[in-house]
Amino acid sequence: MKGNLADGKTLEEMFTCGTAWLEKSAPDINAINVFPVPDGDTGTNMLLTMRSTLEEARHNSDSDVSSVTKAMAHGSLMGARGNSGVILSQFWRGLAKGLAARTYFNGRDFAEALSEASQVAYDGIAQPVEGTMLTVLKDAAKAAREAAKSNPDDLISVLEATVEAARDSVARTPSLLPALREAGVVDAGGQGMYVLLDGAFHFLKGEANKIQYWKPHLVAADLPLTPKITHMATEVELPYGYCTNFVLEGKKLNLQKIKRDLQKKGQSLIVTGDDSLIRVHIHSFKPGEVIDYASRMGKLHEIVINNMDDQYIEFLKLQQERLPTVDIAVVTVASGEGFFDIFNSLGTAIIVPGGQTMNPSVHQLLQAVESAPSNNVILLPNNKNIIPAASQIESLTSKKVKIIPAKTTPQGIAAFLAFNYDMGLEENARIMEEAMTGVKTIEITKAVRKTQLDGLKIKKGQPIAILNDENVIARGHNILNVILEALQKADIEKAEIVTLYYGAGVKVAEAENIAKEIRDIYEVEVEVVRGNQPHYNYILSLE
Amino acid sequence: MVKVVTDSCSGITSELAQRYGITVVPLYVKFGNQVYQDNVDLGTDEFYRKLTQTQTIPNTSSVTPKFLAELFSRLAEETQEILTVTLSQMYSGIYEAALEAKAMVTKECHIEVIDSQSVIGGQMLLVIKSAQMAQSGANLDQIVDWLRNAIPRIHVRMSFDTLEYLRRGGRIGKAQAFLGSLLKVSPILGIKDGATFPVARARNRTHAIDYLVDFVRSLGNIEALAVEDATTPDELEILAQRLKDLVPPEYFYRSRVSPVVGTHVGPHVLGVSVLQGE
Repeated sequence: MKGNLADGKTLEEMFTCGTAWLEKSAPDINAINVFPVPDGDTGTNMLLTMRSTLEEARHNSDSDVSSVTKAMAHGSLMGARGNSGVILSQFWRGLAKGLAARTYFNGRDFAEALSEASQVAYDGIAQPVEGTMLTVLKDAAKAAREAAKSNPDDLISVLEATVEAARDSVARTPSLLPALREAGVVDAGGQGMYVLLDGAFHFLKGEANKIQYWKPHLVAADLPLTPKITHMATEVELPYGYCTNFVLEGKKLNLQKIKRDLQKKGQSLIVTGDDSLIRVHIHSFKPGEVIDYASRMGKLHEIVINNMDDQYIEFLKLQQERLPTVDIAVVTVASGEGFFDIFNSLGTAIIVPGGQTMNPSVHQLLQAVESAPSNNVILLPNNKNIIPAASQIESLTSKKVKIIPAKTTPQGIAAFLAFNYDMGLEENARIMEEAMTGVKTIEITKAVRKTQLDGLKIKKGQPIAILNDENVIARGHNILNVILEALQKADIEKAEIVTLYYGAGVKVAEAENIAKEIRDIYEVEVEVVRGNQPHYNYILSLE
Repeated sequence: MVKVVTDSCSGITSELAQRYGITVVPLYVKFGNQVYQDNVDLGTDEFYRKLTQTQTIPNTSSVTPKFLAELFSRLAEETQEILTVTLSQMYSGIYEAALEAKAMVTKECHIEVIDSQSVIGGQMLLVIKSAQMAQSGANLDQIVDWLRNAIPRIHVRMSFDTLEYLRRGGRIGKAQAFLGSLLKVSPILGIKDGATFPVARARNRTHAIDYLVDFVRSLGNIEALAVEDATTPDELEILAQRLKDLVPPEYFYRSRVSPVVGTHVGPHVLGVSVLQGE
């Protein structure tokens, strides 16, 4: 380091430290690898790629950063392993491009090079997928540019912002990529990228020697993840073909044309390099054709061809061992997108869509129970008309099933909230049922015809309130008054928490307004939650 | 006499440390470029004030093996036997640092390093009992035997307002299941085998306190009990009043989470820790 300026040797040391941190983290990263981004072990592949990258830097005696990154780009290209390794080599290529002609670099130079690296990484991939290492790189680069605006000289603060953004981005990967959400993990390549940058950052802070005392940890996703192993294992098995990798050395190679030609020959294509040296990664059913095509243009090196179907079987076996099953899986019947979200956030294993006008069949319920990732299942029917079908499941499956006879969705939610991870199936069934009975449900809907119910004359289209899915307890001209009257009749004074779930087509502002009216009158906590349910404008729960 | 060493995450107050002759090693909290020694030059109140007033996200770090080796060497001037009980190695590197430090000590001295597989009150109860045994003449092997047997009898439950701090710090473990709830809940977590795990969801703080009380009462055969808070002394008082009759007063301890622990648990946590009898 020279004041605020770092040279190539500093960069090399930064990433030597990053690689040491990656090495410690590699087993954890391997464990979260997800098909179908078939990459053997992501952590190991990135580590081996980095080793080759650093090896080349060590052989380089120049200390200016352009020369060092150029060597590193070459090393990473030659040594790239797997999908993640090839993307990593593009990162280096981009970084070298961004730092070309520089002897030293500061925070802004690094931020700009990082943007270049992100761009090159995207460019090399035929169909970039978000929620992967690419996204993490993009988000990190963006944060770096932001930080460099206020502190262009300060490499440490730029890298700190980079690392934080990378970590947050890794946490978001499951929201972007359904395959990750399904498997209950964050993206492995993204995690690897974050670890690499994190290690580099700690080198700059003078903490390189401390890495040996750190515990590697995976970034926790910013949403709850429910592993659905059985779902993954029973999915129709598509053949993947052969993962084909090689380096092509030639003269005046046309990168764009090679990319276009190869795109017709397979999937997951990555082509990276320059006009004299190119690395290719492709999944193809006819690897021979790919090799034949490339060999006509120059010499081939580092040829590796793996049968991905073999890898996939191996992967499934590993998944069974690596991913946690749950002790008890909860299967829920719900309707309304908002309620789907709520039950998901509570950690339901499977949701069976259904409710008032759409009762799921015994077969549908059985299928859900059978595919739940546990032999102990709790089933929440959440509607009194679904309880009879649910009650038959116990005798139809070899799994241990407990039915919690929740007659309404709020009862089901109260039961789920009481679920205790410390307890077994029987005990949980008991406490969930107990919690369920402490809840009152008020459903607000509009009368579909003129009628007389529970001693009340009701006009067509009039808002009515139904208590516990049984009796009409209020009707009137406007929804607010009906709700207030119904709450009074349902003994709101005894409740501590009222939850107002607003239905499809109801504006949140209207719901908030009703909540405010309730709070003004009663001493009670009122929560407003999107249920987006059909038929009912509002569903209220009194706990 | 066996010298007992632990770290600041145990929440052992200076008064308790003095009474039982315990050496408490402070870990570090960093706010930006400012580095503080846990509970030495940054206390719990000041820490939470900084946490809520500044935008900076603090982080924490362990001590170096060198630091511990020097400490061990100093203690070895006065004793032949040193016991070090650390917080869970899943949360911190101090356990490994202590093992390394042990190998660096040249003076003749029997040193044992034990991972408490816990933190806060759980760790505290183990350390205090160890120190009491040392004071009444037990040797290192006897104390270590007792510890290994007692670790599975430690039960810790904590109630949270938010799990965001645990998530950021990567200490959330399986309690990730409780993240992102769309309903307002106070998650209750436990510590088992050195890691955080999800237990239950209370609908509000009152219910969370009820849960903690019921949990402790359901255990039975309680040998020692500790309660602690972060930013809510009134609630700690309520909790203490409802639990204090379960053990003789000399086995009831109150504490507060240290800034290092606070970095990972955030404000508003309440904890109960129990050492169950055999």
